[in-house]
Amino acid sequence: MYKKIFQQAFVASVLAALAGIIYNRIYFFATETDYSRVLNWKSIIGISVLVCMVFSFIYYGLTRWLKTKGEIVFNFIFSILSFASIMVPLSISLPLEVKFPELFPGLAVPMVFFPALAWFTVRPLFRHQFH
Amino acid sequence: MKKLIYPLAATLLIVASAFTVKLAQDWKIGDNYSIKFSGGDPSGEFKGLKGVVKFDPNDLAGSKFDVTIDVATINTGNGMKNTHAKSAMWFDAEKYPVIKFTSSSIVKTASGFEAKGTIDMHGVQKEVVIPFVFEANTFKGSFEVNRMDYNINTAEPNHGAQKFTLDITVPVTN
Repeated sequence: MYKKIFQQAFVASVLAALAGIIYNRIYFFATETDYSRVLNWKSIIGISVLVCMVFSFIYYGLTRWLKTKGEIVFNFIFSILSFASIMVPLSISLPLEVKFPELFPGLAVPMVFFPALAWFTVRPLFRHQFH
Repeated sequence: MKKLIYPLAATLLIVASAFTVKLAQDWKIGDNYSIKFSGGDPSGEFKGLKGVVKFDPNDLAGSKFDVTIDVATINTGNGMKNTHAKSAMWFDAEKYPVIKFTSSSIVKTASGFEAKGTIDMHGVQKEVVIPFVFEANTFKGSFEVNRMDYNINTAEPNHGAQKFTLDITVPVTN
């Protein structure tokens, strides 16, 4: 069963990473600010894969434990944790060489929702394969 | 005509001797200076350093620092903290836009020099002694500042650090 969840998490992480990289480029062209020292295509891919894979284990555990209600609980947890994680880019202190730190949340805050957004987007494609 | 020879000679000597007096040199502040503060949370740096740097190790009596830094340039690496630091609760950059240091005397010490003078920050003037060295056309100094001495957010003494170490490196050119 975990194989299908892994596949969903992998597809979601690719989608989240793609969205993140595109948004990163759009933000760079819009603001002319370079945050590549702290957030670049490698770190975007890494974070997307990490988050989606961690949540795949949480999903697996919850659906095993709570059966059909597991997905409902999982969706709440994923959404709440994604929302709570906006505190990370808001509170982080960038290296002093990075200019315009006040614009960094505008780049990073939307990105914290990308893994959850990608997960919920691809979920219908895998819905009938888990149960 | 003979009467004028000696007054002219004296005048020439006075003018010529004036050039033998070596005045303390005026230095231009280089672009890659750094004014960093650390002491826990927050840490960061200031920019916008400008003013008069007159320094000659052989003429300390004629040497003087009269410099300012722009409070609005504070950078902690975090946009929210920068905004808070500039607000009325902390530095109040709108009311007190610069931090000023004016030296009153510079003395030689065993390890370098000490500049005695006044820091004017947040509307409070305080006498300080800043130890520094001058090597390879670069001033380097480090000293402690307690924000409570300058009435900076005294309402929240435990909100962030009180004591900060300022590390200053200022390359200069002729």
